[in-house]
Amino acid sequence: MPCAETPSRLEAYFDGELDAISAADLERHIGECAECQAELENLEKLRRSLRRDLGFDRATPELRARVAAALDREAVPEPRDARLSPRALAGAPGFWRGVIAGMGGLAVAASAVFLFAAPVSVNPLFNDLVNAHVRSLMPTHLIDVESTDRHTVKPWFAGHADVSPAVFDFADEGYRLVGGRADYFDRQRAAVVVYQHGPHIINVFSWVDDHNSLPGDTTRSGWHLAFWRTGNLNYCAVSDTGWDELMRLESLIKEATGDTRHP
Amino acid sequence: MPHLDAAYRFARWLTRSPSDADDVVQEAILRAYRSFEGLRGSDAKAWLLTIVKNCHRTIAAQARGRGFVPLPQETDERDGHAMVATTAGPEATSMRRDEARTLARLMASLPAEHREVLILREIEELDYREIAAVAQIPIGTVMSRLARARAALKERWLAELEGEPDAVR
Repeated sequence: MPCAETPSRLEAYFDGELDAISAADLERHIGECAECQAELENLEKLRRSLRRDLGFDRATPELRARVAAALDREAVPEPRDARLSPRALAGAPGFWRGVIAGMGGLAVAASAVFLFAAPVSVNPLFNDLVNAHVRSLMPTHLIDVESTDRHTVKPWFAGHADVSPAVFDFADEGYRLVGGRADYFDRQRAAVVVYQHGPHIINVFSWVDDHNSLPGDTTRSGWHLAFWRTGNLNYCAVSDTGWDELMRLESLIKEATGDTRHP
Repeated sequence: MPHLDAAYRFARWLTRSPSDADDVVQEAILRAYRSFEGLRGSDAKAWLLTIVKNCHRTIAAQARGRGFVPLPQETDERDGHAMVATTAGPEATSMRRDEARTLARLMASLPAEHREVLILREIEELDYREIAAVAQIPIGTVMSRLARARAALKERWLAELEGEPDAVR
C-alpha cells in the first residue's frame, strides 16, 4: 500500500495494544491518512460481523447440566473418601486437596515473609470470600431463600449446599436473620447464612474443611473476615461492620452451636 | 460456571463436532476446578481457554492413538453451517442469516491457527498477552498471525462478494 504505516501497528492500535505515546502518534497520522481510516473501518466491520454472527453460540443446557453434575461429584462433602469411585481416585481429588492445603501453608509463610514488602494477597480463599460477599451485595444475589425463620433456612441448605450448618436468628441482639444462599467456592457448595446488622449485611460462610487449615482473621479490600471452626466446619463472617460487631456475631453463633472452646 | 460459554465456543471451533466439544469442555472445567488457582482473577477466561486447548490436544492425541481420527477437511462447508448460532434474534432477516452462514463457512475454511487467533481476539476479546498464553506462541507471533488471519478472512469475504453487486461492502 502507498501508506507507509505497517498494518500490524495499525491493528495493534485497533486492538488497544499500543502504548499511549505511540497511539497518540498514530492517531495524528490516521487523521491525515484516508487509507488508514478505511482500514480501521474494515477492521471494525470484520469485528462486528464476527461478534454478531459467531459470538452467540452458547453451551447447551445438556452440557451445562452434565458439567454441573461432574462438578458435584468432585465436591462430594462427607464421607468423601467412602464415596470415591475408582475413576475419581485416579483423578485424585484427594491429591489436589492435599496440594491445596499445602499451598495454603506456603501462602501463610509467604505472607509472613512479604508482610513488609508488598501487600500481596496470597490466600486465594480470602479473594473468594470477599468476591462472594461483594457479589452478594448486588441486587438479586444476596439471598436464595428469604426467611427470618431458621427452620426454613436450615432445611433449604440440605438440598442446595454441601453442608447444613446450624442457623439462628439473633434479632434480639441486633443481628437479624434475613436468609440463606449457596455459593460455590473451595470446590464445594458452601452454605451462606445472611444476617443484617443495622445497615450492614453480614455473610456467614460455612464449608467442610478436612485439613484443619483455618486462616487467621484478616481485612481485605476494606472487608473484615473473621474465621472460626466448629467440628469439621470452617466458618467465615464477612462484612464492613466494625471488628467488634463482627466478633459479637461470631461469639453468638459459637455460643448457640455450643462451641465455647475458642474464646 | 464462569466462562462456560466461551469454553464451549472455543471447543466447537477446535473440535468441529458438538459431542467432541462437550467432552473437551467437561474435561477442561473439571481440570480447572481441580487445580490450585481455580477460576479466579482477571485472567480466568484465558486460563480456562488454555485448558480447553490442552484438553483438546490430549483427547485428539488419544483418538489418533486408537486409530480412528475423522480428520476434517479444511474446507468443509458443513462445518461452517454448524457453527452459526441457531438462536438468532427476531431481527435476524434471512439475508443476515445468509451472511452469518457465509462468514462461518469462510472461518471454517481458514487454517486452524488463523481461526484460533481470530476467535480469541474478536469474539472472546482476549488481549495479545492472553492469546499468546492460550495459543502458546510468542506475542510477536500473535500480532503477525492475527494480521495474516484478518487479511485472509477479508480476502475471502471480498471474493465471496464478487458477483453480488447488491451486497454491502
